[in-house]
Order: sequence, then C-alpha cells, then structure tokens
Amino acid sequence: MAQARPTSGKPPVISIGFVAWLRENLFSSLANTLLTLGSLAILYFAGRSFLTWAFTQANWGAVTGNLKVLTWGRYPEAQVWRLGVSLLILIVLGVITWRVWRGEPSTSRRIVLLGWAISPVVLTILIRGVTLPTPATIANNLGYYLFRPDVLPLLEQSWRGTSAMIWVGLLLGLTRGMIESRRARLAALIASAAALLFLLPLGLQIEPWIFGLKIPFLIPLLVNLLLATLIGQAAGHSLANVGGVQGALPWLWGLSVPLLLILLTTFDVGVASVAPVEALPIVEPNIWSGIMLTLVLAVVSIVASFPIGVLLALGRRSKLPVVRWVCILFIEVVRGVPLITILFMAQVMLPLFLPLELSIDRVVRAMAGMTLFTAAYLAEIVRGGLQAVHQEQVEAAHALGLSEILVTGLIVLPQALRAVIPPIMGQFVSMFKDTSLVAIVGLLDLLAVGQSVIKQREYLGAVREIYLFAGLFYFVVSYAMSTASRRLEIQLGVVES
Amino acid sequence: MSDPVISCTDVHKWFGNFEALKGVDMQVEKGEVIVIFGPSGSGKSTFIRTLNRLEEHQQGTIIIDGIELTHDVRNIAAIRSEIGMVFQQFNLFPHLSVLQNVTLAPIWVRKWPKEKAEEVAVQLLERVGIPEQAQKYPGQLSGGQQQRVAIARALAMQPKIMLFDEPTSALDPEMIKEVLDVMIGLAKTGMTMLVVTHEMGFARAVADRMYFFDEGLVIESGSPDDIFKSPQEDRTKLFLSQILTH
Repeated sequence: MAQARPTSGKPPVISIGFVAWLRENLFSSLANTLLTLGSLAILYFAGRSFLTWAFTQANWGAVTGNLKVLTWGRYPEAQVWRLGVSLLILIVLGVITWRVWRGEPSTSRRIVLLGWAISPVVLTILIRGVTLPTPATIANNLGYYLFRPDVLPLLEQSWRGTSAMIWVGLLLGLTRGMIESRRARLAALIASAAALLFLLPLGLQIEPWIFGLKIPFLIPLLVNLLLATLIGQAAGHSLANVGGVQGALPWLWGLSVPLLLILLTTFDVGVASVAPVEALPIVEPNIWSGIMLTLVLAVVSIVASFPIGVLLALGRRSKLPVVRWVCILFIEVVRGVPLITILFMAQVMLPLFLPLELSIDRVVRAMAGMTLFTAAYLAEIVRGGLQAVHQEQVEAAHALGLSEILVTGLIVLPQALRAVIPPIMGQFVSMFKDTSLVAIVGLLDLLAVGQSVIKQREYLGAVREIYLFAGLFYFVVSYAMSTASRRLEIQLGVVES
Repeated sequence: MSDPVISCTDVHKWFGNFEALKGVDMQVEKGEVIVIFGPSGSGKSTFIRTLNRLEEHQQGTIIIDGIELTHDVRNIAAIRSEIGMVFQQFNLFPHLSVLQNVTLAPIWVRKWPKEKAEEVAVQLLERVGIPEQAQKYPGQLSGGQQQRVAIARALAMQPKIMLFDEPTSALDPEMIKEVLDVMIGLAKTGMTMLVVTHEMGFARAVADRMYFFDEGLVIESGSPDDIFKSPQEDRTKLFLSQILTH
C-alpha cells in the first residue's frame, strides 16, 4: 500500500542537538578541531587580560565622572531639556516616516515631508535658541529703516535689503514664467513694484559689491533684481506643468509679507529700552560640544547633503552644458581633496569669499564643509543608480505624457535611489565617523572633549577608558544606521527578507 | 470626409549617417486599424516612435489630430497625452503597483482626483481581464498579464490613438492570445490603432489597412485582402512567404 504523502508544501524542518551542531560546525575534521582549539586559546588569553583590566585596573570614573561633559559639553545645564526635545522630535519624525511609508501612499506622506521640511528651522530654534522681537523693537527698526537708512550700513545690515530684493525678483519671475493669466501677472507686477518702492530707501544705502567696484548705488540692486527675475522666470517655465506648484504660488506671495518684515525689522540696533525678548536663551554654536556636537554635525550633514547630492547627480546628467560642467567641476574638485583640507578651507578660506558682513560661526562652517563633501560623494553614488534605470522606463513615462520633471521625480529617481540604498547608507556611516575630524580644526566633538578629559589631573592615565567609550559610542550609532539601512532595503523590496 | 487623425508626409529619420526612414507617407482616418509589418531593421518601430516624438524626425511633417509635431515642448506634451503606446518589453514601472502604474499619468498629467483615476483604472483592469491583480507589483505578474496592464495604463489617459510596438514579440506563445484578444476587443470599440506586428491572424481579423515596410520605405500598402491574396511587390511576396509558411 502506498504511503500517504503529506500535502503541506513546506520543506521538512531539520533539527539537530547541541552536541551534533558542535560536531558538525567545530570538530568536523582534525584540522577544524585544531583550529577551534587554537582560536579558543587565543580568545581565552585575550579575553582574560581585557576583563582583568576592565574590572580591576580601569578607572571608569574618567567616563562616569565626565559623562555630562562628554555628552553635552558646555551646553548650559538648565537648557539641556532642549536637546532632549530635539532628539525626541527626530525620533518621532523618523518612526512616523517609517510607519507611513510602509502603507499605501497617501496624503499623510505629504504631511511627513512637510514635517521634515520645517524640522531644520524648528530644531535650529530649539538648539540654538531664539529671540523674539517685541512690537516696540519692530516699530523701532522699521522706523530706522524708513527714516534713517544711512545707519544701516554702519550696522552691517545692508545684506537684508539685497536678500529682500532677490526674493521679490524670484517671486515675480516665477509668476511671470508660470502663470499665463494677464491679470495675475499684473497683480504680481504691482506687488513687486510696491515692495520695490518700500525697499528703495535701503537700496540707496547698499554697498556696491560687484567685483568690489564703486558702482552707483542703485545698479547692484537692480542687477540683483533683474537676475533673480530671470532665474525665477526660467524656473517658472519649467515648473509650469508640475502639479501643485502653481497652487503654492499664492502662498509664497503671502509668505513674503512676514518674511520681508522679519528680514527688515529683526536686526539689533542696540537700544536697550526695546531689547528683544529671549524666548529660548541663545546658545551659540561655538560652545556646542561633546556627543551633542557630533550628533548635530552628523544629522545636519546627512539631511542637508542628500538633496544636494541628488541635485548634483541630476545636474551632471543635464542636457544643459553649463549646468553639467559646473556640477562635474564641483564633484571632481571636492572628491579630489581630503575632507580635512575642506574643513581647513571652510575655517580659513571661506571668510575670504563671503561678504564681510556675513560672519559665519565655526561650527556652521564645519557643517557646510562636511555637507558639501558628502554631497559630492553622494552625487556619484546616485549617478550610478541613475545609470541603472533603463532608458525604456523614461520612454514609457514620456509616452504617457509626463513632463521631464515628473519623469525624473516619479520614475527615474525612485528606482535609482532604491538601487543605491546600501552605498548611500555606507557613505552616511562613514561621514558620521568622519565628524571626529573636526577636532583637528579646533571644534570640541566627542573625541576632542575626551582628549581634554584625559588631560585632567585626576584621570591622567585614563586614555583607554575614554577611547573605549568613544569607540563604543561610534560603533553603536554606526551599527544602528546599518541595521536601519538593511531594514529599509527589505521594506522597499530591494532584497528578499 | 474629415481630416485624417494622423497625417505624415515625407518623414525622414537619420541615426548618425544611417537613414532609418527615407520618406514615409501615411494618412490614417479616425477609427482605422493599421498593421505595419516588415523585416527587422526596416524602420517600422522607428516610424511609430516618431509619432509621439520618442524619436525626432529630421525632415517632413507629422500632423497628429491637427497639431504639427515640432520642437515646441507644449505641442509634444499635448500630442503625447493623446497617444497611448504599448511597448514590446511592456516597460511597466517596477516600483509601482499595478494600480499605481495605471493611475500615475491620469493623476499627474490629467490632474484627475485620485478617486476618479482609481475608479477608471479598476474598470480598465476589468476590461483587460485582471482586476484581481491591482495591488500586485509588475514583477509578480506573467508576461501576458504585464502587457495587459501596459494596455490598461495607456488607455487610462483616454487617448485618441493607440500605438503598439510589437506587443506580442516578447511573450511566450500561450500568452499571445490573451493580449491579442484585448487588442481585438479594443479595435472593435473604434479606437484608432497603429500596430507593428507579425501576427497575421490579428491583421486579417481587424486591420483596415496594412503597410509593408522595408529599408525605411513603405513598399506596399493596402487592405488585408489585397496584401494576402495579391501582393504586388516581390519583396512583399518573399516576406509573407517567409512568415506565413512556418
């Protein structure tokens, strides 16, 4: 009689005992037995001396006694809660993103993206602090601006007028390029003319800064306005068919009223009676230190370098020769220079290129350096992903009538980025560890703080303890990042789970 | 009689120094089903790809539904949204589900609300016979199913013209029929179709006219009856004998 076969499609599960496992994996032959015994001996001796040191000789007080210094350094202790809240915001945002992206695409994705878009502002305000102007300061500054514009260059505030001018020009250009209705374009023109008239007193005082030549005061202003309008118009033309962008235009115009007000009224004229309110006490970046600085550098560089890297990669494949060559030049120059050189350049050379009135904090300069460095590497990784997307995909999308921007955003980039998650995450992990290089240009990251701890008299010999602690911290964060990357790949179906 | 939907005069196309199209003329009326056939490298795919500007013609005029194809980006966009295309290799978007593949263009190009686009998409998936696969990804479907999704995706834009570029050439034999059935059904609804194919059964069943391409030129054209029963040109006879005898 034929035996009944089990009908379930599952393969049989083979279970073996512990001893059988040992025999199969560690003692299967004479050579393997010898190797196993040898390795055990090495592990025993190394482990024993390490454990002896760790439990009897090590002075862990160097770590535990300095935990606060190592973690948030010189950040005022009464304000440390702000760091906690910032970390919490990041974690919550991360978890929500993860959950939303698992499900079907929906409007909640837009909300999450909006959350990420405004998070830099919120986190900066939280970590650095914010002063709010009182109504009196606003009135006072507006008064200065309208009636004593000659004071502004003395206060080194004329860049505000330039920025306002560029903003108005961009909006005007965008409207001209995007909107075909004559009435809307006329309204934009009138709004810009009103803004221009309002800005004119400031314009009269702007320091001419075209190649340092002394040029009649209004010319640089008008050049800025004209350039911004042209750029805006070109952008408007190419964005005209993208869904949702046109709808954002009225919001941008609406936004420009508070923006211009902030731009033109928030400077400090040093009148004590109308001093601004410190809503969150300012903690200048130059006293950020320890793990906190390491994490801030890493998060900022990761978040900021990603879009820049993607844009560079797209720019490198652009059909416009100027865009392509600028991107290639940037990528190749940055990749041809060691990170430490870029950090030094950011500290020493950057001030040479920027207008005098813009003095940027050293921490921010380090962030900019790391961001640009990472962006160049990311650009090459993303370009690899772009090349992996077949031309047929682009053709199919074109045949459906999708515009160039939509093809890139909906078809090419999603596929390209999916293909390069592992190298991108690898780059981020490597960038995270490279933040330790900022110690060389004098910033007090975890490693630099650790080195200063070692120099304290009571912990003079605690070199190993401190470096072990730092190493453990870097390992835990890096490992968490690569685990997240692996789960992301599984999530997106790049690899089988 | 009304103006033709597609009107091509003296269309030339070069790839470098190679002249792929050497002056093609074609007029297509609304609702006609045109079958284009010919040996590989004869320019038939290149020709239908010039109609929605996947290839740019360098000489001659192409007028689609009253709009001439020029460098004007807006014209190209307008024409592309009126023309659906089905490719030999399906070219579905692998990172999007079947439903998302079908609703993508209506949502982003036609600016339909998502609910309307999905409603239409589900109807189309029913029409091509695979409503139950809407949530799957292209990689989980058979070739025939993928090609039917591709047809639904092209139809979702409610095009006036459908182009088929060897839609069954990449399919296993047992799947060819399911795709051809969908195409025959479509032809019977009065859709204007240009089909590059060697499926002569399909041509006999629904084609109004057939064009034989060779070396970048239309060698012969006529109704399926004319072409199959009394081909005039030697090259047509030779080619037909080669594909019909095996």
